[in-house]
Amino acid sequence: MSVCSLEFLLALMLLSAVFFYLPGRRPRQATLALCNAGFLSLVIPNAASWLLLAVFLMSGYVAAQLLRRWPGRIGLALYVVPLVVAFMLLKKYEVLSLWVPAWVFDHPVSIVFLSYLLFRQIHFVVDAMQGQIEDASLWAYLNYQLNLFTLLSGPIQRYQDFREYWSAPESLLGDLHEQLAACLRILVGILKIAVIAGVCLAIYDQGVGWFAQIDAAGREPSRFAAIVRFAAIFYLYPAYVYFNFAGYCDIVIGGAALLGMRLPENFDRPYVARNMIEFWTRWHKTLSFWIRDYLFTPMVKTIAENWPRRVASLSFLCYFVALFLAGVWHGSTWNFALFGLIHGAGVSAAKLWENYLVHRGGRKGLREYLKSRKIHAVAVAVNFHFACATFLFFPAELDRCLRTVGTFFTTVA
Amino acid sequence: MDNMLDQMQEVFRDVFDDDELTLAEEMTALDIDGWDSLMHINLIIAVERRFGVKFATAEISGLKADDQNVGTFCRLVAKKVDEKA
Repeated sequence: MSVCSLEFLLALMLLSAVFFYLPGRRPRQATLALCNAGFLSLVIPNAASWLLLAVFLMSGYVAAQLLRRWPGRIGLALYVVPLVVAFMLLKKYEVLSLWVPAWVFDHPVSIVFLSYLLFRQIHFVVDAMQGQIEDASLWAYLNYQLNLFTLLSGPIQRYQDFREYWSAPESLLGDLHEQLAACLRILVGILKIAVIAGVCLAIYDQGVGWFAQIDAAGREPSRFAAIVRFAAIFYLYPAYVYFNFAGYCDIVIGGAALLGMRLPENFDRPYVARNMIEFWTRWHKTLSFWIRDYLFTPMVKTIAENWPRRVASLSFLCYFVALFLAGVWHGSTWNFALFGLIHGAGVSAAKLWENYLVHRGGRKGLREYLKSRKIHAVAVAVNFHFACATFLFFPAELDRCLRTVGTFFTTVA
Repeated sequence: MDNMLDQMQEVFRDVFDDDELTLAEEMTALDIDGWDSLMHINLIIAVERRFGVKFATAEISGLKADDQNVGTFCRLVAKKVDEKA
């Protein structure tokens, strides 16, 4: 079910009205749990998927309980490594076909939101082990993992924040201002998805189709027509990805707000970032913060504690590993690996440039550089075009995409 | 608390390689140039070494959240030092 569909929106309005009149914590929790289960039943296609989902979720809860009692890195690795391998098998990652026979991938399991479950599960287990989650009941944990507002595509909420709400769910409908703000947010989200993203995608598809026709016919188009079509592809696909996902987040954040649930923000004007480091603090924030906290930080910290002299150089490797994993998390095909590596290069370049500026003019020099409005404008423009270029590799049809780029450059050259 | 702020200032100056850096409790990551994810980890490691304490993953990320500042960082370190003693 799409969050933009009339059914979802009507159900949401009905739920928020019912929720307002429910007396106390338990009826509200029970209603939310019922809605979570109902929503889940619409997106789980078969018995095998139900079974795998149950095993996946229960393993996380049991592992958290055990690691809380007997914390240790080895125990954590013994749980997380098989979990990630199982995830990759279930999501049919192409890279595994190098080592695993084809029949392993021939399974009927389809859990579209598995990657988000994985992120929340690893966070839950790690934080429980480190004593940051103390009183997690199975009831709260399952509703956290299967929360209908964050189930399909995030935002990746932390358990501690969910627990705060879950312990005393309060409706916001009594506050007219908050209610209107939430409804307006949902409306803005619908407009982003249904109108802006829709138009961007239609023009993008037209552009890609035009280049495919040129290829197929073997004719040479006018340079102007090629530039216009390529500009549409170059700028409007990143616009489509942003408006589609940001619109989705507006709807679920606004919808959750109607029930008094505060979800974390996922976007903060990413295309005005001055470099790729800043871009990842503005784009899909809950994903990038998860990667920072549970991948990048432990990697750099381990290096700094064991090989302190090499931390400066090896941290660049960590950027690549973190962004590569961010890329392949988006999808199981090679284009996403390439997307992640290019972003790794962008982040590394931004850090190297900052190091160069500090080396040349000291911290004072860096401060003056960062204050310059002209430099800021140029940096934003350059970074925006770099980000758009990386999205050429984002669509799953990498061959078609590379052919389009090839045809364009052949035409204008 | 002032003593803790002074000690933290030494750590910050060392990590950010900036002898002119003057800390105030209300300062956030946005007020200190170069306080990105990598510098945050360097800062955490330096504080752990200086005070002989350890931070959990959730604490490390929490310290860089929008509503956190140098004051909350100092209070968390002071709490951990007290617990250790």
